[in-house]
Amino acid sequence: MNGEGRSRGFLLVVGSVVVSLILVGAYLAAGGSSYTPEKVQNPCEPRPWSNPQSLGEIANQFTVSALDGAACKLGVSREALARALATQQGRERFKQKYGITDNKLAQAVRAGLVRAIDDAEEAGALSPLIAGPLRETVQRIPLSQAIELINDAESFLGNAEGFLGPAQNLLEDFLP
Amino acid sequence: MVLADSSIVVLALPEIYRELNTSVAGVTWVLVSFNLVMALAAVPAALVARRVGPGRAAAVGLAVFAGAGLACGLADSLSTLILARCIQALGGAAAVTASLELLPATVGSERRAATVWAAAGATGAALGPALGGILTELVSWQSIFLLQVPVALIAAVPILAVAKYEAATGIVSTELRRTGRPHIWANLALAMVSAAIAAALFLLVLLLIEGWRLSPIEAALVVTTMPLAAVLGGKLAEYVPAARPRAAAGAILVSGGLAGLAFLPKATIALTLPPQVLVGIGLALVLSALTETALGGRAPQAIHGGWTISARHAGVVIGLLLLTPIFTHEIDQQRHDAVNAGTAVILDSPVNPLLKLDLAERVSRRLEEEKGKVPTIGPAFEPLPDDPAERAEVQQLQGELQDQLDRGATHAFSTSFILAALLGLIALLPIGLSKEVEL
Repeated sequence: MNGEGRSRGFLLVVGSVVVSLILVGAYLAAGGSSYTPEKVQNPCEPRPWSNPQSLGEIANQFTVSALDGAACKLGVSREALARALATQQGRERFKQKYGITDNKLAQAVRAGLVRAIDDAEEAGALSPLIAGPLRETVQRIPLSQAIELINDAESFLGNAEGFLGPAQNLLEDFLP
Repeated sequence: MVLADSSIVVLALPEIYRELNTSVAGVTWVLVSFNLVMALAAVPAALVARRVGPGRAAAVGLAVFAGAGLACGLADSLSTLILARCIQALGGAAAVTASLELLPATVGSERRAATVWAAAGATGAALGPALGGILTELVSWQSIFLLQVPVALIAAVPILAVAKYEAATGIVSTELRRTGRPHIWANLALAMVSAAIAAALFLLVLLLIEGWRLSPIEAALVVTTMPLAAVLGGKLAEYVPAARPRAAAGAILVSGGLAGLAFLPKATIALTLPPQVLVGIGLALVLSALTETALGGRAPQAIHGGWTISARHAGVVIGLLLLTPIFTHEIDQQRHDAVNAGTAVILDSPVNPLLKLDLAERVSRRLEEEKGKVPTIGPAFEPLPDDPAERAEVQQLQGELQDQLDRGATHAFSTSFILAALLGLIALLPIGLSKEVEL
């Protein structure tokens, strides 16, 4: 083989290395190594409330907190629980998949509601005078109603405000 | 045609596994079985061709290939299809190794025959998936096999004349030139590079169809980049006479392209094109250079050609068997992560809690319907809310969930692409050890 042939071969190999490195480098620089699904948060870690302004916004964060609390208690992701709670069929599949009894699910959902009330109180979205009775109430309700409260937190919180609000005003008038 | 057949069904695999109701791992055997039998039968087929005459061996091989192709096209179960593919590979092995004995008479010299045969192998490997995809989309996956029947029979017609001549004259190449040892390093490198290339074709096609939900014809158009780039690689090879630097450069480009596919920064077709160009140029350089090295100065050509066929198809089998379990596991894992990430987006959105839980449930139902696949999530968001503001929010959520699924689908193939790239790089070792052959 002549010298020209050798140098062409050498150039071809070097060129291939350079082109390959440029391509891979460019893709990595453009985020190629981090193009993965985002990691979901551990439901046991606190999820700070933003500053909710309306009842709708409070209900939204209340739902998320309740799901976090229940999922934490069950040791599953909040996302898997949310997908399960909407229908009876989904719930049955979920219970079967994770080996969860009705009783355990009920306890977890109630614990989730308590955490949501705690979080709402801490964020100043629920007064302590309303939070206390609500906490007592949710710990005694059946599973179907507890799930209903997570699904329709807006009505629940609106009703609570409607019932307990006047009582709270009355108490505030009398308390020092 | 026979060499394209090892990869031609790649784009039809998703269709086959839906129609024959099997799994990704199961349908992989439609590819594996053909390549495995080709790997095992190539050298014995070459020996038979030497004994009975290449004309007769090629004619019988093509007839068996055509008959088995018909059986593949009519198969109504995975096991029948796999069995027919095995028989098809037996016929293919006879035809392709015998053709190397017949080529010198057609093209003028053994050297030229080796070059033409090597180029046909590279072209076949690159063209197969695109051809298969177009046929699957325009007609059906069965048409891939049924179309091969007349093509194989037409190819057999001129060969029949040679076979008749052999039978009439008794002139069979009985000249017993010593069969030297096969070129170990070139064949070993061929096996490794073929494993990497098989991965490039198979994984990319699955990513496009199953991950990014392209139709077979769209995917075929996308992967046509590789054969087009292979033409460029063929031209480039003419400027470098030495086989070893061509083989090394080819292996590096194939690995570089595969690494590029492993680190795609977005689920966009355009971003698959530069890596495909590298793989296409690389495969044209490396497959022809290694085949020429393995055949160079060795006789009989059919037997050494048989070794190269054996090495290439063994490489494909190793690549598929090594990488299939990895990416099927990754697909499941990434699908799970993507759906959770998408559900998190829905839960953290400002939409009404009733609606968001309803959406989460619909997504869950959709996942059940599309169990084992990367789901198309659009139907989970139908019907859209009437309220324009809510509708816009839901559409945005749909986009975000789809983005998470695209991320998951793309990332699911990363590990396999990286391993395939490593196989390509490891091939540099035997390439370095292979002695330069002046053709």
